[in-house]
Amino acid sequence: MAAKYDVVVVGAGNAGISAAVKAALEGKKTLLIEKHNLPGGCASSFRRGRFEFDPSVHEICDWGPDDNKGDVRLLFERNGVKMDWVTVPECYRCISKYSDGTPMDISMPTGREPFIDKMEEYVPGTREAMNKLFDLFAEMKAAVKYMNDGTPNDSKYMQTNFPNVLRTCGYPSLKVLQALKLPQKAIDILSVYWCYLGVPLDELNFLHFGNMLDMYICRKAVIPHHTSHEISMQFMERFYELGGEAWFNCRAEKFLFDGDRICGVETNMGTIECEQVLANINPDIIYAKMMPKELVPEREKKLSTARKHNYSARMCVAYFALNKSREELGIDDYTVFFPSTSDTRREYESLAHIDTNKFSILLCYNKLIPDFSPEGTCVVSFTTMYGPDDWNKITPQEYAGIKDKFAKQCIETMKEKYGVDIEPYIEEMEVSTPMTFARYLGTPEGSTYGYELSGWDGMLARMMLIPEEFPIKGLRHIGAASFRGDGYSSTWINGDMCAAMACAELKEGGNK
Amino acid sequence: MALNIKVGLIGLLDMLKFANLGKVRKQAIDAAPANEITAEYKINNFAKEMHPDFQELVVDQIIDHGDADARSFILKRADGKPAAYFRAGQYISLKLPIGESFVTRPYSISSSPEWTKEGKLAVTIKKNPEGFAADYLLANLKVGDKVIGSEGLGSFYYEKLRDAKNVIALAGGSGITPFLSMAYAIRDGIEDFNLTILFGSRTENAVLFRKELDDICAATPKVKVVHVLSDEEKPGFEHGFITAEIIQKYAAGEYSVFICGPEAMYRFAAGEVAKLGLDRKHVRRELLGATKKVWEQPGYPQDKKDQVFKLTVKQGEKEIVCDCPANEPVLVAIERAGIKAPSRCRSGECGWCRSRLTEGEVFIPEETDGRRWADKQMNEIHPCASFALSDLTLIVPGEYY
Repeated sequence: MAAKYDVVVVGAGNAGISAAVKAALEGKKTLLIEKHNLPGGCASSFRRGRFEFDPSVHEICDWGPDDNKGDVRLLFERNGVKMDWVTVPECYRCISKYSDGTPMDISMPTGREPFIDKMEEYVPGTREAMNKLFDLFAEMKAAVKYMNDGTPNDSKYMQTNFPNVLRTCGYPSLKVLQALKLPQKAIDILSVYWCYLGVPLDELNFLHFGNMLDMYICRKAVIPHHTSHEISMQFMERFYELGGEAWFNCRAEKFLFDGDRICGVETNMGTIECEQVLANINPDIIYAKMMPKELVPEREKKLSTARKHNYSARMCVAYFALNKSREELGIDDYTVFFPSTSDTRREYESLAHIDTNKFSILLCYNKLIPDFSPEGTCVVSFTTMYGPDDWNKITPQEYAGIKDKFAKQCIETMKEKYGVDIEPYIEEMEVSTPMTFARYLGTPEGSTYGYELSGWDGMLARMMLIPEEFPIKGLRHIGAASFRGDGYSSTWINGDMCAAMACAELKEGGNK
Repeated sequence: MALNIKVGLIGLLDMLKFANLGKVRKQAIDAAPANEITAEYKINNFAKEMHPDFQELVVDQIIDHGDADARSFILKRADGKPAAYFRAGQYISLKLPIGESFVTRPYSISSSPEWTKEGKLAVTIKKNPEGFAADYLLANLKVGDKVIGSEGLGSFYYEKLRDAKNVIALAGGSGITPFLSMAYAIRDGIEDFNLTILFGSRTENAVLFRKELDDICAATPKVKVVHVLSDEEKPGFEHGFITAEIIQKYAAGEYSVFICGPEAMYRFAAGEVAKLGLDRKHVRRELLGATKKVWEQPGYPQDKKDQVFKLTVKQGEKEIVCDCPANEPVLVAIERAGIKAPSRCRSGECGWCRSRLTEGEVFIPEETDGRRWADKQMNEIHPCASFALSDLTLIVPGEYY
């Protein structure tokens, strides 16, 4: 006899745990299944020796202070997920070269005025253009709020109230920054966060990029005190409190159909019947491997062909626990970006290959959380992302060597650009490659950002077609491959929205 | 001044560009052919080869080590494929149906990683009067029998960026196995470091892998073995236990100490190593194993020691109620009840058995509490290193074999 649920959430990544909480909150009998033995997907942790490492978190956006709450904070409050955060007081430091080849070492603060002041200091004469940019951000924030509030969008209203947004948001970010007459050096400084979305600025939609910049600068970022696993566990605690059930080490093998409607999931722990499925799995995998071929919609085949397996951000991370404090070592920043160029297109191209990729982002959690690791120690990590080609060719015998080479490159980059040599102090270390992410997340090629958010497949374009994005009855794709794209914040919001849609459909269908 | 930003020459066209984003997407999708969707990825296949759900292995050969009271089992992939590649020093978790129980046991791999190409790996099991699984395997496992195993696990391996180039290995009895694998890996050019093994045995005859170690030492100057005999005094051998003095005698330059051996040997060695004043990063140990006499742990409530509690295990839709003696890990009770629940290291460290405690209280010895911070706050336990202090209800994960 099969277990029966209203809603089954497949995959306990960020979108999955958020969706599960929402469905349970709506009073639906909800089961969350996860093939790994932990919730969170990327938002997790692992132990080595006396240290606990965070596999992925850098900066979580859209939380915001009491008087300027962001969507993520509103979601946590609405759904009753408790969390104590640590605020990231600065935006970023970036040590690189400007597009004209001159050296760059900038530290950008949070807050509109401090950010503009600092920009004026680094690139004199930018105040007016920067003010315009932030005015545009403010208009954009209002427009996004209007577009997301659930009421049908009135184009007249939008034209009257958000004319600048409508005029700029169809364009790639670089074009808009240039139209604002910002000098290239200022654009170089502004472009640092491009890697959080994985698309170069000559392609990345401005609304998406601008909205992200605004959230980081004006609302400040936050991070969990005790690794991302703490966040995922807070979602789980809430889910259990609402009566939700979770099965770990439970892998969905096949989706079951009643006619053209999804009606269940086959797993290693038995068959589960349900009305609605929220699948935190890449759609290509579902259509190719988890359902009858004849039921795959034409539109999804065309979409997949058009996307050409263009998955985004195969992360590679080196984690080091050091047996000296960050003060002793001279690490005085939380996050430092080390791009090899400020030209995001050139950087994007160089990321593709192991030999050309010199990009990394340094994190030192202890800068914000002194007790992140035992006294007298600190934890740092370096993140970059790759294209698929080189990682496709590695043999098991070469693998450990490639990991070491990457770790060594990170150490060398820090030594050269930051002036700190951490190598003698490594007590524990680990390297996560695209293979590691593929192992634990099951995403195509270990990508963490879903499909690349470029051109016609950008976030805004996806959101405009939400009604068409889920053509199979009872099935919704959630996670980075869904309409909001990548990032903790986006995937939590996406999971919540999709669960709300599924629950609404249950109501309309007259189901329990 | 009102904000008036245009990107193109005519603002109205800019607006149209925004409004058309959806249309452009639609057109891009419509224009593509409706090919069959594929999802084959080399990176994912690689991850699967390195970390399969399990490996079905067949006993290919059994080698008896005579006076050393041990046997090596050479295992071969049943499907003829290469065995999952591993780092020399790692262990494999065997999943064994014994009677009504499904138990797991971690054994260090004693063969070279090179063997995986031919689908092979070896584990070496020493006779152990208290060992339930070890004695079962020694008595029952025959050539041709099938066993389910994991991939290579754990982080007890040499890491050149972290460890000193010179490694002093302290081995006791069957604790030689990870070092034998490392020595083979050095000989085979897979690893590159200087390994000096201080190998404690009772007598010369009881030395495990004497010939194998001699052969490796003859083949590479990077591996050296010093035998330390506790029960015999012989020329060419060190006598007694592995002390700080002996370590210092054979150590040169900056060195890391790696320790693997039975609990008693480990405790003695750890005390000796402490005298050397090494940085913590230069001392690494293999898994401790399950705590044997939990009632001797600080803070253990003595009145619980001999009690037997009721354990309710939920796994998916299944619910099983069984006895749970206070003096052995909760995992053992789960296994006795015939439940296939995941576990690997059995030392509290790897977290593979991580389960949700919804009712009841457990005792978790500090030294084997390898849980994540949030798990400690939110009632997630590692049953392999937890001991019942009351009736318990536990939600355990599923299994894949």
